[in-house]
Amino acid sequence: MTERYSRQTLFPPIGQAGQEKIGMKHVLMIGAGALGSGNAEVMVRAGVGKLTIVDRDYIEESNLQRQQLYTEEDVYEKLPKAAAAEKRLRAINSNVTIRAVIADATPDLLDELVQDVDLILDSTDNFETRMAINDISQKHHIPWIYGACVGSFGMSLTIIPGKTPCLHCLLKKIPIQGMTCDTGGIIAPAVQMVIAHQAAEALKILVEDWDAVRTTFTSFDLWRNQYTNIKITKAKDEGCLSCGEARTYPFLQNENLMKTTVLCGRDTVQVRPPTKQNLDLSHLSKQMQLLGYPMKGNPYLLSVDMESQRIVIFNDGRALIHGTKDLAQAKAIYNRLLG
Amino acid sequence: MNKLLFFAHLKDEAGKESITIDAAGKNVAELKAFVAEQHGMTKLDSAMTAINEEFAEDSDIIQEGDTIAFIPPVSGG
Repeated sequence: MTERYSRQTLFPPIGQAGQEKIGMKHVLMIGAGALGSGNAEVMVRAGVGKLTIVDRDYIEESNLQRQQLYTEEDVYEKLPKAAAAEKRLRAINSNVTIRAVIADATPDLLDELVQDVDLILDSTDNFETRMAINDISQKHHIPWIYGACVGSFGMSLTIIPGKTPCLHCLLKKIPIQGMTCDTGGIIAPAVQMVIAHQAAEALKILVEDWDAVRTTFTSFDLWRNQYTNIKITKAKDEGCLSCGEARTYPFLQNENLMKTTVLCGRDTVQVRPPTKQNLDLSHLSKQMQLLGYPMKGNPYLLSVDMESQRIVIFNDGRALIHGTKDLAQAKAIYNRLLG
Repeated sequence: MNKLLFFAHLKDEAGKESITIDAAGKNVAELKAFVAEQHGMTKLDSAMTAINEEFAEDSDIIQEGDTIAFIPPVSGG
C-alpha cells in the first residue's frame, strides 16, 4: 500500500515517518452528521490506524444536501448515521479499523471510549456535549479540535491540554444559542471549510508536528467574505474549573444530566432515560400495531407515526420525538409510549 | 473612535456589519450592555469579544482607536 499514500508522504511535513505515525493513531470522532462525514472521510483516506465514531441520530432526507457519506438508500433504510458511516468508510479504506457506536455521547460513555485515543474530533451539534468533551480532554490529556457552523459561518479551535486555553476558558459558560440550523440553515461549503480546518489540524497532531498547530480561534463567513483569526494565548484562565489548578471537571460531574435535548436543524426533541435500557423492540412494535399506528423498523430502531408526531425509539431506550420542540411535550409523548 | 464589528447572526440583529462609536474607557462588559441596549440586541452577552484581533475578557478596558469584534459561538455541526 505504499502507492496509496504516496501523495501524502510526498508532502514534506508528513513524509514516510509521518505516515507511519498516522497509521498508529486512534481518533475518536463525536458526531457523524455534516462535519463528522467529512472529517471521518479525511481521516480514513489519510490512513489513520483506528477511528471510533459516536452518533445518536439516524439519517433523514434533509441530511443529504451536506452529509457526504450518506445516500438515498440510507434515508430509505433509516440507518443510524454511525452504522451507515462505518459501512461507507470500510468501502473507502479497508485498512482502517472502524468502530461505530450508536449512542448519545454522555460523559460516562466518553470516559469509557477515550482509552488509548490520541485525538478527539468534535463533529457534534451542541455545546452540552462539547463542554463534556472539553473536560474529558483535560482529564485524560488528549487534544481535541472544536468545529461548528451555521448558515455560511463557521469556526474552529484546537485545544491542547497543558498548552492552550480550553473551551471553558473562552466561553465561561454554555452560550445561549442565537441561531441554529433550524432558523439559519446551513450551506455545504461552510461545512467543508470547517472540515478543512479541523482535518488539517488533526493531521498536524497525528504526525506530532506540534509547532505547526494553529494557536488562534478561526472564524469565517463565506457569504460575507470574512476571515478572522483571534489570538487567544492570554485567555488561559488559571482559575478555570476545566483546566486550571483547582479543576473539578464540572461538565462531567453533573448528576442531573439533561434528559431532553432539542436537536439542531430539526423540529425534534431527544429524550434519554436516566439509565440505559435494553428494550424489546419487537414486543413494542406489536403493541404499537395493536394501537393502529403506522410503523417501520430495523434491528436498531422502531419508528412510529402518532398524530402530528413521529417517534423513533432506539433499543437503548432513547427516543427522538419529531414534530415538536417542546421538551415537556416530548417527555409526555415518550412516557405515553414507554411508560 | 472605535469600530465595532458584528459577526454571523449578530450582524442580522444589529442590522449592519459594523458601527463606529466612542467606546474608550468602557470595559468589554459595559460596552456589550451599552450596544445591546442601543441596538436592541439580545444575543450579545454570550458572544466572544476580540480587541484588535486578540481575545478580550469582560474586564478589559477599550482604548481610543481599538477595533472590537463580537463573535458568537455557534453549535451546528
